[in-house]
Amino acid sequence: MRRFRAAFAIAAAVAFTAPLQAQITVPKTLPPATRAGGNITAKPVSGALPRQANGRPDLTGLWLRRGGIGNITQGLPKGETMPLLPETLKRMRALLAKDDPQLHCLPLPTPRANPYPFRFVETPTHIFILNESMHGFRQVFMDGRGHPPADELVPSWHGHSIGRWEGDSLIVDTVGFNDQTWFDNYGHLHSDKMHVIERFTRRDLGNLDIEITIDDPGAYSRPFTLQFNAQLMPGQELMEYMCEENNQDTAHIEGLAAPGLEAEKK
Amino acid sequence: MTISNRWVIALPCAALLAGTPVVAHHSFATQYDINKPIEMRGTVTKVEWTNPHARFYIDVKDEKGEVSNWNWEMASPNVLSRNGWKPNTLKLGDQITVGGYMARTAPRMAIAGAIKDANGRPLFASAQADLPPK
Repeated sequence: MRRFRAAFAIAAAVAFTAPLQAQITVPKTLPPATRAGGNITAKPVSGALPRQANGRPDLTGLWLRRGGIGNITQGLPKGETMPLLPETLKRMRALLAKDDPQLHCLPLPTPRANPYPFRFVETPTHIFILNESMHGFRQVFMDGRGHPPADELVPSWHGHSIGRWEGDSLIVDTVGFNDQTWFDNYGHLHSDKMHVIERFTRRDLGNLDIEITIDDPGAYSRPFTLQFNAQLMPGQELMEYMCEENNQDTAHIEGLAAPGLEAEKK
Repeated sequence: MTISNRWVIALPCAALLAGTPVVAHHSFATQYDINKPIEMRGTVTKVEWTNPHARFYIDVKDEKGEVSNWNWEMASPNVLSRNGWKPNTLKLGDQITVGGYMARTAPRMAIAGAIKDANGRPLFASAQADLPPK
């Protein structure tokens, strides 16, 4: 017992007299590893375009879009700029980063994408596009119907989409968007007059070409076309992404969405 | 391949794969300060395996010996688990070292750039898109 007491006394003395060792350091710079993060990636695969029994391309699989993530102008032809109306430019200049709908876990309608995969689900009457991000889905009517008359269209995040096959391309025609969403983190805006035509072409086993033509006289001076590519993620599945469950970022975001109007630069 | 081997490989691979910068849930500069790098060693008190970002919290002693709790942002579970992480890769009570950048407005919040876990293994922690450009 006496030995135990002595040992305790020594340990206590050491504990209270040992110099305090700070566990926080403020270095001038951090090693390069602190800027090397992880990504969701798709390994390139090669092979022929798979087809369904009816001869149409089979879009099955998990796809990861490349390009235009965060900055939609990456989809423009080289040298082109977004044909913003002066009023759109003025509104963009005032946008705050904290008001980005994505930051608030709101949907990411076309042409916006973020670095998470998506999947097509085809039925005889519909094609659904399931987006991992924000747990979003798009509904495309494939039964030959048209869009409702303009006065019956209810403005919505993903709009009203009708689809058809044109050769090996799936064409998705969408109207009826609300005016709440941004195309990217820079806050490229659109109006509720936006009409989007998407052309999805599975080029081969591993590649899906995505061409998006936007006609929005409410925000842009002429139609323009964005081109992106998506890569197949063989063997992967969609995962849950409940953005609202722990979104702590919103309260800590500062500054303009497009400082220095970088949005205008290609 | 053991997990420790995977992580050692993961860091340089992540660096090579980073091409066109992409932006995920938020851009780095609007939330974190490139001029406020920070490193610390502490004890894991909580792990949140949640979207849009997984987070861990550590108790850390300052130079006066006072303990404070820091909130560190990581990538989403979707990015982490597709790159070898598991919800229990960091465990409560683990002594870890982390380096990253402090939030602009919150005093004890930061984004984790790189971690050394309880065994000294290097781990990537955030999405490339959420870190400052290299």
